Amino acid sequence: MLSMKNISKVFKTDLVETHALREFNLNVAEGEFVAVTGPSGSGKTTFLNIAGLLEGFTEGEYCLDGVNVSNLSDNKSAQIRNEKIGFIFQGFNLIPDLNLAENVEVPLRYRGVKSSERKRRVEAALEQVGLAARMKHLPTQLSGGQQQRVAIARALAGEPRFLLADEPTGNLDSLMARQVMELLENINQSGTTIIMVTHDAELARRAQRNIQIVDGQVCDFSMYQKADHSVVAELKKVADQKQAAELNQIVSGA
Amino acid sequence: MLHIKPIVSSLMRSKSGPLLLLLQIILSVAIVANASFIIHERLTMMQRESGFTEDQILSFNVYNFDPEIDNVKQNIIDQQILRDIPNVIDAASTNMMPLSDSGWMDRFVDGPDEDTAKSMPGFAFYLSNDHWLNVMGAKIVDGRNFRPEEINTRIDETGMLAIISQPLAKEFWGDESPVGKTVYQGEQTIKIIGVVEKLQGAWVDHRNFEYSVLANIDFGGNNSNKTYVVRSLPEHIADLQEQIVKVLHAENPNRVIDSFSSLTEMKNLTYSNHRLMATILSIMVMLLLLITALGLTGMVMFNIQRRTKQIGTRRALGAKKTDIVSYFMVENYIICIAGGLIGGMLSLQLGKQLMSLYSLPILPIVYPVIAVVGLLVVTTLAVIVPAVRASSISPAMATRNV
Amino acid sequence: MFLYYCDLAWRSIKKTPMLSLLMVLAISIGIGITITTLNVYKTMSYNPAGDRNDQVNSIQLWSQGLDTWDEFNTNMTFTDVSNLRNNNELAIKAASYRTGLAMQSDDETKAPVLRSVRVTDTDFFTIFDVPFLFGNRWNKSVDLQPAYQVVIGEQINNTFFDGKNSVGKTIYLNRKPYQVVGVIKDWNPKPKYYDPTNGAFNDAEHIFIPFSLSEQEEFDVWGNTSGWRFEPMLSYQDRLRSEKTWIQFWTLLETTEEKNQLQSWLTRYVEQQRSFGRFTDTAKTPAESAQISPVDKLLEDNNAVPSDNKILVGLSVLFLIVCLVNILGLLLTKFLKRAPEVGVRRAIGASRGQIFAQYMVEVGMIGFIGGIVGLLWAWGTLTLLHAEFNVDPSVTGLDSSMWFVTPLIAISTAALAGVYPAWVVCRTKPSVYLKAQ
Repeated sequence: MLSMKNISKVFKTDLVETHALREFNLNVAEGEFVAVTGPSGSGKTTFLNIAGLLEGFTEGEYCLDGVNVSNLSDNKSAQIRNEKIGFIFQGFNLIPDLNLAENVEVPLRYRGVKSSERKRRVEAALEQVGLAARMKHLPTQLSGGQQQRVAIARALAGEPRFLLADEPTGNLDSLMARQVMELLENINQSGTTIIMVTHDAELARRAQRNIQIVDGQVCDFSMYQKADHSVVAELKKVADQKQAAELNQIVSGA
Repeated sequence: MLHIKPIVSSLMRSKSGPLLLLLQIILSVAIVANASFIIHERLTMMQRESGFTEDQILSFNVYNFDPEIDNVKQNIIDQQILRDIPNVIDAASTNMMPLSDSGWMDRFVDGPDEDTAKSMPGFAFYLSNDHWLNVMGAKIVDGRNFRPEEINTRIDETGMLAIISQPLAKEFWGDESPVGKTVYQGEQTIKIIGVVEKLQGAWVDHRNFEYSVLANIDFGGNNSNKTYVVRSLPEHIADLQEQIVKVLHAENPNRVIDSFSSLTEMKNLTYSNHRLMATILSIMVMLLLLITALGLTGMVMFNIQRRTKQIGTRRALGAKKTDIVSYFMVENYIICIAGGLIGGMLSLQLGKQLMSLYSLPILPIVYPVIAVVGLLVVTTLAVIVPAVRASSISPAMATRNV
Repeated sequence: MFLYYCDLAWRSIKKTPMLSLLMVLAISIGIGITITTLNVYKTMSYNPAGDRNDQVNSIQLWSQGLDTWDEFNTNMTFTDVSNLRNNNELAIKAASYRTGLAMQSDDETKAPVLRSVRVTDTDFFTIFDVPFLFGNRWNKSVDLQPAYQVVIGEQINNTFFDGKNSVGKTIYLNRKPYQVVGVIKDWNPKPKYYDPTNGAFNDAEHIFIPFSLSEQEEFDVWGNTSGWRFEPMLSYQDRLRSEKTWIQFWTLLETTEEKNQLQSWLTRYVEQQRSFGRFTDTAKTPAESAQISPVDKLLEDNNAVPSDNKILVGLSVLFLIVCLVNILGLLLTKFLKRAPEVGVRRAIGASRGQIFAQYMVEVGMIGFIGGIVGLLWAWGTLTLLHAEFNVDPSVTGLDSSMWFVTPLIAISTAALAGVYPAWVVCRTKPSVYLKAQ
């Protein structure tokens, strides 16, 4: 489904070069639910932007759904985003001027879907998140959890092959967070691949597979997860220490 | 106390906004300077004294189509009839009307030999009798008026006398009095007997507009189509028209009497293009300033919105309200003055172009200066309101997450 | 998709009413002023000859002496016009000048009126394609053998003959009976291209009489008479014999060949006249001393469009540019504020082109509204000009093309102002604005 090989991403300014990702490797199979965790600044967001074709990368190869999507034109990546990828953001990112139905239909508009078909899909998507009755409301009239469900409906309306969620519960209280999580699990069970970035360990544990990004590289613990928790803990400690050491270096160097 | 340097560097960093404002001000200055110059020029032109008692003069046309009429005799009779109308102060025939855009233009030479004589500048050539100056309210400053017995009826009769306008006399003879001098035209010799202070011609745009000559020829008899002027107090002018038609038709019905027009109307009509130009340009200048002001206000309001947190932070760090206001004022003054300088130069260039293309006079430097000053005032008005509003942003904004 | 963009644009315009109003105001004022001056310019520079411009030609001759006038005079002397009228090589030709006569009909109840009258030849009606309502122009023989015949305009026919066919009836001009041979339809070309010498925007005459009557009737000249040397005009004969210019001369030339033929005839004519002691300015060759001007050249030479008008068009275009810059700034402000929304749309799969199109539609809509309001401004201003400044209604009438030109200028001005802001906003990196707002 998704395969990243030796992806590197370097941000350059006049003064410094920052390696956001370095020789990053990841394979995600169809239908998987992957949780991505990692300390802030580790490259999670960069990973997500690259996975979602929102940003290019410096080196490496990225195949999505069997298609090589490295170095695509802006138009082509917009099309792939539109057809194959659904986004869910921490800040919901609904368009405030549009009502729920209009928000949900945005991806369908850009795909050029006919009006009747649009209507059907919008209703179905809102039905799925339990907000069909409020489709004429504006986003500001909803609670955070409801807004996030609309955002999920918007992602679903396009019937994407996989969903990218960036801290989908970050702005929600725990009850609402659980509801959203359940919704995501349902979606996953119906066959959609999901990659979710989160810093919430409990949520991450509910995913099939956990990966941690540290310092722009993957530490994949999933294979140990069920075997030996102590090893996982140990590895995590090593990773944390490595980070701490680097931090020390920066502090003392500066 | 004005921290210009940080403001400038902050302006340099933000890309298009100030640049657009600068461009707008440059163009505005160029337009406003040239437009206000043209307006001023036209207003001055319209305010020139004509030398006539404009609101007391009514002119009209008489066309005798009766072949039996002896035009020369009829002319004398008609003028007497006009003078006898109650409320008419005086009446005369005339070959042309001042400020009317149509008339006679001629020139004389100063010697009998055409090849060696020096030519006077072209002038408006009025032909009438001893009543004309009284009708028109023109003032003799040197010499005398015609006497009734001196009036001729034909251009080729001997004894042609002329009264000339002072500007023409000054132009040709300098400070020397022209009274008593003889000038020539073909076979004809003309003696100058008087000078009137002011006597404008028919064409307001002509460079010789102030040069005129009145000759002692009652031209009303030469032609079946003639023009008369009568003088009356302004309050009687309106009723006069009907009376004139009545008395002249009573004398002989075989004529058309029409084209009544007061000199005030003629003046309005002949200057209407200039008035139009001045009006359109004034409207343009005002709208331009309005649009510039609105644009400025919009931009400042946007900037304030964008910088709410920054302003809050400054306030929290101890900036006074006046500091915030002066920050925005100085920022916009800098743009305005920079734009004014470039725009001033551009406007001088534009003025040069207009001068070469349309023979407009050269733009004096004072107009760009006025334009810049005007824009500074507009800037102040446009910026002060949003700036004061910005200064009342609470320092607490600094800590709020916007 | 276009309708979707329109819908989004309209929402966006409504969402910031003050800003939108400001933009519409700016663009509409700019457009209003530009259209006003452009409209006046357009009507003044209109060429009524249209397609026939190259065929309808007037002739000018350099009959003046050395060091007198700097330019060709539009009018010609009676001597030259008479000779040209006798030139049999020239098939269609008409001399023309303006006079004024008192007019009466048999109907005693109608008061006599003084009317301006065109004295001309019968080909005048052919050359200027004058449409007839009743009857026809006078016979060509009348141009050689004077006859008291007249062609009148519809208005006069309405006043004096109650709009009935008056062919064969009599009108009196200066108490002389003239037989009506034709009635023309309302005909008032603006500018008055057949005689731009005195007031290019004066009304056309409604009475036309044969030029051949001039010598016996001694019609006054209600137009410019210009002389380059002193020649007293004590009698009408003096005028006819003088070197003063006062008559326009027109001809219809279908082909270049005809034009060349006329030019060579004129050259020979000038040579001949020189041998008689006329055309004394030898600084010009005989070929240079004759000019055949199509309508557009004649209008240009007579300054049908005053320079004030050109200055106004120039300044108003500058004004429009200021408005454009003004709007550019406001649009940039407005669009950048909406960058986060653009980020979302981009993430969801909108291409740059789609975002660009969305914003250009919004800009176009502002331009369109501005154009409509601008048209109203222009219409109001022109009406005001007509009422307050005695400007001819033909000049202040809104040219029909303006209904099409105005929205076009408005939309393209707005588009020009919007292209940069729309481009900036469509380049928004989708990832930048997505992290917690």
